[in-house]
Amino acid sequence: MNSMLSRRHILALCCASLAALAAPVRAQSAPLRLAFIPQENPEKLLGDIEAITGWLSREIGVPVEGFVTIDHAAAVEALRNGDADISFMGALPFVLAEAQIGAVPLLSEVYRDAPTYTGRVFVRRDSGITTLADLRGRDIAFADPISESGYLYPLAEFERAGLIAGPAESEAFFGRVFFAGGYQQAMQAMAEGLVDAAGASQYADLLLAPGQQSQVTWIAESEPIPSHLVIARPGLDAEMQENFVNAMLRLNELEHRAMLRHLYGPDGYVPADATTFDGVRALARRYGLLQ
Amino acid sequence: MRIKLLAFVFGFGLGTGLLAGPAMATPARDTPWLPEAAAYRLTLFLGNLTPVPWDELGRAWEEPYRGSEYTQGALDWLAGQSSLPTEPLTAAIAREDRAAVFGAATRLVSARIDEELDAALAAESPAAAQQAVRTARELYRAIEDHLAAADPEAARALGRAWLELSSATGSTGVLGAGATEPDLNAMATARVVVSDYLAANYRVADFAPRTALTAVPETIALSGRTVTLPATLPPGSDIFDQDPLPLLVLGFEEQGIDETDLPLIAYGDMLFDSPEIFGGPAREIGIACSTCHNRSDINQRFFIPGASHQPGAVDVDGAFFNPMFNDRRADPIDIPSLRGLRFTGPYGRDGRFASIRDFTRNVIVNEFAGAEPTPFMLDALVAYMTEFDFLPNAMLTGDGRLTEAAPEAAQRGAAIFNQPFDGLNGKSCASCHVPDGNFLDRQAHDIGSVTPAYEGSRGGALDTPTLLGTVYTAPYFHDGSMPTLAAVVNWFDTTKSLGLSESERADLTAYLEIVGAADEPYEDFDTENTPFRLAFAELTTFASTLDTLLPRRDAQHILLLTDTVAADLAADAGTMANLVARPEIYSLAERLAAVGAAVRADDWDAAEASWVAFQSEAQAIEERAF
Repeated sequence: MNSMLSRRHILALCCASLAALAAPVRAQSAPLRLAFIPQENPEKLLGDIEAITGWLSREIGVPVEGFVTIDHAAAVEALRNGDADISFMGALPFVLAEAQIGAVPLLSEVYRDAPTYTGRVFVRRDSGITTLADLRGRDIAFADPISESGYLYPLAEFERAGLIAGPAESEAFFGRVFFAGGYQQAMQAMAEGLVDAAGASQYADLLLAPGQQSQVTWIAESEPIPSHLVIARPGLDAEMQENFVNAMLRLNELEHRAMLRHLYGPDGYVPADATTFDGVRALARRYGLLQ
Repeated sequence: MRIKLLAFVFGFGLGTGLLAGPAMATPARDTPWLPEAAAYRLTLFLGNLTPVPWDELGRAWEEPYRGSEYTQGALDWLAGQSSLPTEPLTAAIAREDRAAVFGAATRLVSARIDEELDAALAAESPAAAQQAVRTARELYRAIEDHLAAADPEAARALGRAWLELSSATGSTGVLGAGATEPDLNAMATARVVVSDYLAANYRVADFAPRTALTAVPETIALSGRTVTLPATLPPGSDIFDQDPLPLLVLGFEEQGIDETDLPLIAYGDMLFDSPEIFGGPAREIGIACSTCHNRSDINQRFFIPGASHQPGAVDVDGAFFNPMFNDRRADPIDIPSLRGLRFTGPYGRDGRFASIRDFTRNVIVNEFAGAEPTPFMLDALVAYMTEFDFLPNAMLTGDGRLTEAAPEAAQRGAAIFNQPFDGLNGKSCASCHVPDGNFLDRQAHDIGSVTPAYEGSRGGALDTPTLLGTVYTAPYFHDGSMPTLAAVVNWFDTTKSLGLSESERADLTAYLEIVGAADEPYEDFDTENTPFRLAFAELTTFASTLDTLLPRRDAQHILLLTDTVAADLAADAGTMANLVARPEIYSLAERLAAVGAAVRADDWDAAEASWVAFQSEAQAIEERAF
């Protein structure tokens, strides 16, 4: 669910990235190149990239460069052709990148003590809706058709409840299925009564105003979804990979925690475990996204 | 006094913030505004002030709003993003023509929405279409709350149209998988719903004259129907507590006395944190005494455009809070600390109130448009606020002498502080900042820091402020014009011709930094003492006054309490680290609300029962959730 950028933005970002590259670093070995995927205001991302690459350069002792890609596909393409060594990525695009180019999982983001989160189906507390079956013929807003917690996993709960046989049947089960464009938009549409339910991240109710938060509840929760991760291109030098991972893990230490806000705001990182993505691989196959 | 928790926001791969919500004592973090949408909201807000701050209104379009994530102001942003002309707007601002500014700005924002919808329909990829729809939707936010308040049916139709639009843009899929094509027919149909409404209500050539500048649809405005709009703060406002949070030092607490055994003080504590005692926009937005005076001290980040000239300052007799009390002078002051309040009278920057009780009533009734407080409320507030103590400082004795712990430079500075100067009419710094009198003299003096309001004005005398705790209360002077204590020393040295050398100025500054220091200036949060836990303890303490109020059948003050605390409890639940326990907090808030509902219904048995249930649930939560 990345925010897409105009060509003008991308040009501006590229120029600024080049400027950032001029930052002095101690060592002069081959640079480590990080691909970032814009998820909010691109201007803010530029400042974040400058801060985190500067810090990583000092920690690892090699020049670290950051640049913004237009989306996940561009990031994976950069990994494939060697323009990027490392990229930040969601779990679903990772399993596709793994299949396509052999991308390697390095680190998983931690939120609230876990490298996983869930998707939930939210309703208004006063709606009288208590089960997924109650949503037959009613309207639901999901975040985005390729969102794990904002579509795929919550929808899978309807399958598990025996209400639909697969995603193709969702239109027949619900009144209307909307893709609102993001967690917040889906939750807001539900909270305002534009739709009866919202499928979104387990934390998405925190995106509502405090007064609205107490007015909503959830009626189903998905299996754990691996959180976003940091991946490497296949063939990245093992020592470089290890140095990068060790530096990133130092972000968990109190004195470096402030840097986390420049990295999509996780509470920390843990080494990624490739086996934890089996569920995502299976789901991607079921939804026809992965062969 | 409880704290205002910063609603914690995070997202997985989705950089977002909280939508500006209904008025709550726990403010919601504002989602970033697009530059032109922010400028429009600022235009409405500033345009409704009397007199209109035209310079500031002009800057609202020229510069990024305070805290904006964009580096460009709206006009520059539009020059790069839009082909729409901005000259009608800038010309109207230059003419200081309020109605023309409203018309031009409203037409510009609505035309921008249409411009982005045009782009969405012409987009060559789902990604570009989605971005254009997203931008259009964010621009719509500039008018959305007023539209919803004035025309709920239309707001619903438009809300569904936005859902249709975002759904119909298709998907780029992920890494080539799962892509779907846009449904152009569905997009066009939904777009018509939005654009037709905008054309009829926001792109009209001549808006009818409006008393207040609002984004109420023109057709509704013409109908003459009364519309109640939610009070909102414009982009750039900040009413969150400062971080780090000042440490609160209460006399009774330091002596080991439990606040729940002091019902008058506990009730005053609640009132200090209650927007319910105010009226007008302050109450609706959720501003309380503690919003500006965090934990009895100050709030360095407090900022409201048009009312604050810099963070930590506010004009309490301006046009926004209480038009009745509007003195039509832009004279915001730096928010003063209330530490040691019982020693710092008279009150007000110029010492205009001898009594803290009179001062407090003036704050409630005149500055913030509240109803006349009852004697009990004033007694409670005064009882609470006179417990505010200065911060302990191991480098200073009770009578204002430095201890041996103070560094040498400060010892040298103390001598300068006590030295008479010709430039001070033979007095010393210590003549007014009396060391054994908590570094103040309870008198007003004109030191030349106030620009005369008119020729011959003698209105420049200000109450001597204490120097205690000042290390943490920058900036200084009534208007916050001095950024550091060193700047204050330099100002006196220059304007009073003290003739201090550089090292003497440094020594005097070192002395001030020791006098103004504290052993522990800030609240120390950790995994045990979390912001929510502190808030929970405070709210349940407030509720404890029901033990006194229920037997007295004091309906008025019970309702003030339940209305304040029940809403705050529920709102604060969103800030809990232990999210699983949130439903319990909601349930607890409902118990307290039920006390209020029973009292309103004159059913005292039910009120007592709900209060008992509240207490037992609160205790269970205290044991379990933390």
